[in-house]
Amino acid sequence: MLYRISSGWARIELGLAAFLAVCITLLVLLNVVTRTMGNALFWVDELAIYAMAWMTFLGASAALHHRTSVSVTLVPDVVSPKVKVVILKVVDVIVFAFAAAMLYFCWRWFMPLEFARAGFDAKTFQGNTFNFIYAEPTSTLGLPKYMFWTIMWVFAFGATLHSTMHLLRPVQPDSAP
Amino acid sequence: MSPIVFLAALFLSVPVAIVLIATSIWYIWESGNIVLYDSFAQKMFGGLENYGLLAIPLFMLTGELMNEGGMTKRLINMARVFVGGFRGGLAYINLLANMFMAAIIGSATAQIAVMSRAMVPAMEDEGYDRGFAAASTAAGGLLAPVIPPSMMFVIFGVLAQVPISEMFIAGIIPGILLTLSFALVITIIGWRQQFPKGTWMTGSEAIQAVLYAVPALLIPVAIIGGIVLGIATPTESAAIASLIAFIVGWLVYGELKPTHLAEMFKRTAVNASMIIFMIAAASVFGWVIIYEELPQKLAGLITSVTSDPFMFFLIVNLSLLLVGMVIDGIAAIILITPILLPIAVGNYDISPHQFGVVICLNLVLGLLTPPVGIGLYIASSMSETSPGAILKALWPFLLAVTIVLILLSYFADLSTMLI
Repeated sequence: MLYRISSGWARIELGLAAFLAVCITLLVLLNVVTRTMGNALFWVDELAIYAMAWMTFLGASAALHHRTSVSVTLVPDVVSPKVKVVILKVVDVIVFAFAAAMLYFCWRWFMPLEFARAGFDAKTFQGNTFNFIYAEPTSTLGLPKYMFWTIMWVFAFGATLHSTMHLLRPVQPDSAP
Repeated sequence: MSPIVFLAALFLSVPVAIVLIATSIWYIWESGNIVLYDSFAQKMFGGLENYGLLAIPLFMLTGELMNEGGMTKRLINMARVFVGGFRGGLAYINLLANMFMAAIIGSATAQIAVMSRAMVPAMEDEGYDRGFAAASTAAGGLLAPVIPPSMMFVIFGVLAQVPISEMFIAGIIPGILLTLSFALVITIIGWRQQFPKGTWMTGSEAIQAVLYAVPALLIPVAIIGGIVLGIATPTESAAIASLIAFIVGWLVYGELKPTHLAEMFKRTAVNASMIIFMIAAASVFGWVIIYEELPQKLAGLITSVTSDPFMFFLIVNLSLLLVGMVIDGIAAIILITPILLPIAVGNYDISPHQFGVVICLNLVLGLLTPPVGIGLYIASSMSETSPGAILKALWPFLLAVTIVLILLSYFADLSTMLI
């Protein structure tokens, strides 16, 4: 069950990441065209960069599901299969701890409870907490930056989902990291 | 404790990016600077807010489009026109085609995969030893990270805050030097082994081969021309190159199917996010490097051994050869640059361009050396040759790279002349 959710979510993540890769390409091309015509759109660069950040975190989370991240497999490759199973489980624990820590960091950063207590009012919130996250603007897009930062929540949840799945699942014999 | 956490996690095969993040989390907790956790996620996101990084997915996309679009075989055919008639012609064709490909693809592993499939069977049919065929193809892949565009230069440029276009230009002479040194290796081996004789194309065949390749050649011309002439940024030229690759593959060669685009964008997203995520991780790891004053401490150690920049380079080269054997080249660049660059520039007055060229070429060598030589394994599986057989034929090429590395370390001008 958990595996199915994790795998379905990974598919959505990859689909979105691929779509964002399309957006990046089109945005940069748009930039080239408008600049050659002497009429550069100043907000395109920033939007392309945010699209890339979203693509990266979505893709990185999906990589945790597929175990395709770059890693040094020197030791697991030479030890006996039994030891390898133990090592891979330890890796799962570390990745899970990392994902849980990301959730905790997002919580400390976005302070959702305090924000709710302030009635979702950015001014009251930052008066109470000195946390200016909800007031920070983007440079050129005219949108608040926290909208783009929410990808860190998506990433933290995705990573937690995928790593919980691996943690609870028996190590598959061929699942080399 | 942090170094132990780092090494343990790394060798247990925790993904490299997560090793960096976990070490940073541990370090912050140990040093009691818990307030840094508040901006931890923000720092990771911020590490990606860099215009130059956009070039990574775009160059990857260009490579994907080029593979599907039938450009590889046209480029190989064109290389045949120029060097096909020499004894050992196919070996030179392989090298020259690799040089063209390096000007389009930015990644050594991608290039080795494509070229092994294309060249090794052809060389074997003409009577070359399969191990040598695979070895010369794998060595040709080493041109990818030196000849522009280069994924490693993009990453180094971002980390070192050197304009990526300057890094690309710095790679031109070293790339040519490397190609010449490989040509020399092929010539020497050819004398001893009596390579099969090549045949020159007839005039009309040659003209046809060149004409067919011209559209594909627009890509390196757009990339290198745009950057050298300062018309386009590396990011923009990457986007233009992917557009040309798409149009040429689809409309001119008629081999690229627009229905495959979704799959290509997906592969691009997967591969690009793997690399860019490591950069996000490296930005929090930067805290550890700065607070621990790693460059200063290491500088103290090295400057007590030597004050000569060339000796420093030799030490760095030797250590990085070992690092490259274990860690993937791009991961190693991300890890090493923030630590060693300040020493090279600050204590030894080395130009960041020269330093970048040397360490990128050095670390990519690790692709071809066991125990973790991904490039070697790719060449081996694509060409159905054992890694051992490839290695046996590969060592003269590795020796050539080593000599080029020493030259590049000694003569700064080789990297900085054109900038």
